[in-house]
Amino acid sequence: MSRPDLRRLRRPEKAEEKFLGPLETEVMARLWKRRSATVRDIVEDLARTRELAYTTVMTIMVRLHEKGLLERTREGKTYVYRPAHTRDEHRARLSRDLARGLVAEFGDAALAAFSAELDTVDATHRAALRRLAQKDSRETR
Amino acid sequence: MKRADRAFTILLGLAFASSAILIALLLTLAPRVEQLLSRGAEDTADVVAGLVILLAVCGISLGLAALFRQLVATAVLIRGLVARKVVLPSSVDVAARGLDLAGRIDVVDDERPFSFCYWFLRPRICLSTALVARLDTEELRAVLHHERYHLRQRDPLRQVVARYFAAGLYVVPVVDELLSFHMLQKEIEADQEAVRASGEVHSLASALYKLLPDADDVSLGLLVPVSSLSVTEARIDQLIAGRPLSFALSPVSVALSGGALVAATVLVAVQGGASVAFAALPPLYAVPALLVCPASLLIAAAVDGGLHQLRPVAQRLFARG
Repeated sequence: MSRPDLRRLRRPEKAEEKFLGPLETEVMARLWKRRSATVRDIVEDLARTRELAYTTVMTIMVRLHEKGLLERTREGKTYVYRPAHTRDEHRARLSRDLARGLVAEFGDAALAAFSAELDTVDATHRAALRRLAQKDSRETR
Repeated sequence: MKRADRAFTILLGLAFASSAILIALLLTLAPRVEQLLSRGAEDTADVVAGLVILLAVCGISLGLAALFRQLVATAVLIRGLVARKVVLPSSVDVAARGLDLAGRIDVVDDERPFSFCYWFLRPRICLSTALVARLDTEELRAVLHHERYHLRQRDPLRQVVARYFAAGLYVVPVVDELLSFHMLQKEIEADQEAVRASGEVHSLASALYKLLPDADDVSLGLLVPVSSLSVTEARIDQLIAGRPLSFALSPVSVALSGGALVAATVLVAVQGGASVAFAALPPLYAVPALLVCPASLLIAAAVDGGLHQLRPVAQRLFARG
């Protein structure tokens, strides 16, 4: 029996870009990597691939702080930013919001949906479904 | 007859029987409306009549509101989706081959993965581009098998009818419980159909898994408190174990529904206190036994049924929050 192909079960990772915008995504990616950084650190980090004004990056980081994605503490005259959640936590929140958004949007409409109430699956059921989905032998029940 | 169909038949039978009794009661009390409006309640019979008419008005309003809400929400949703309709991707074309769904599938541009069956007399299947991109051909085919079951059964139409009765007959809370069971059982039977048609359970399970929200480090079970199994959890249990879903009506709902219907029948029989037979009895016995007690039963059932009706609204508000 061949091993299950886990790549087939991996979900897309682009969801966060839909909600953050490309620049915000880049800033968050760098902060998740560095764990903490000042605006200057990020400007210099980004400068390797693109030239961005200090004020542009500062505006983005302030906005991310206002959205609750970054926490900041003052150290001397500058702010040091840290991600409020890990990347995986953030992704989980996003996809949960997507699922809840669907329930809220489709709630009153008369339709029979394959994907309904998907945000109400506990860890046990999630794991059981994952095991069932990983069975690459196409068994007949 | 499958369990979902049986539940739907029982629901309709109960709904028609209950409607007949409650309409008879309303017609019995309707002539008193003018008197109540002009002179107010003069005795216990008037108070009971006023309360029952109020409950009836609430029921009629709830039923019509449920109908209106569903039709408007469906129309708005479809209008929004039609504007984002795209050409059928070749993967969908391949997956739908041999399923007899030609011209019945719409694919809409949306970053959220979803699929559903919609519209009433000639239902259609709607898939989002995100869902199509996320699933492979076999998974897509399993989803189409699932939706084809809903399409052939005209489930959106059944849903409108069942929700209308459940809302309007809020004094018979059993109808709402039957609706919940019917809708859950429909999803389970659509899954069973997809598994049977695919000849294996993997494709459907894999499709369902890929559509679950990510939850690597965060336990969604803690964030979203659910007192019992959610629809998806019940479906997963069914996919794994294949056992029929156990179902039992809540004894409280059965008691309240039965009590409400008996109470309504009694009130019709004594014509809300206006019948000759009622007048012949001593008021000391007749008023508590034939007016106050039935009215209390109706109100208790109405409160329970009203709470049932409020629950999905509260859940949606919670989902929005």
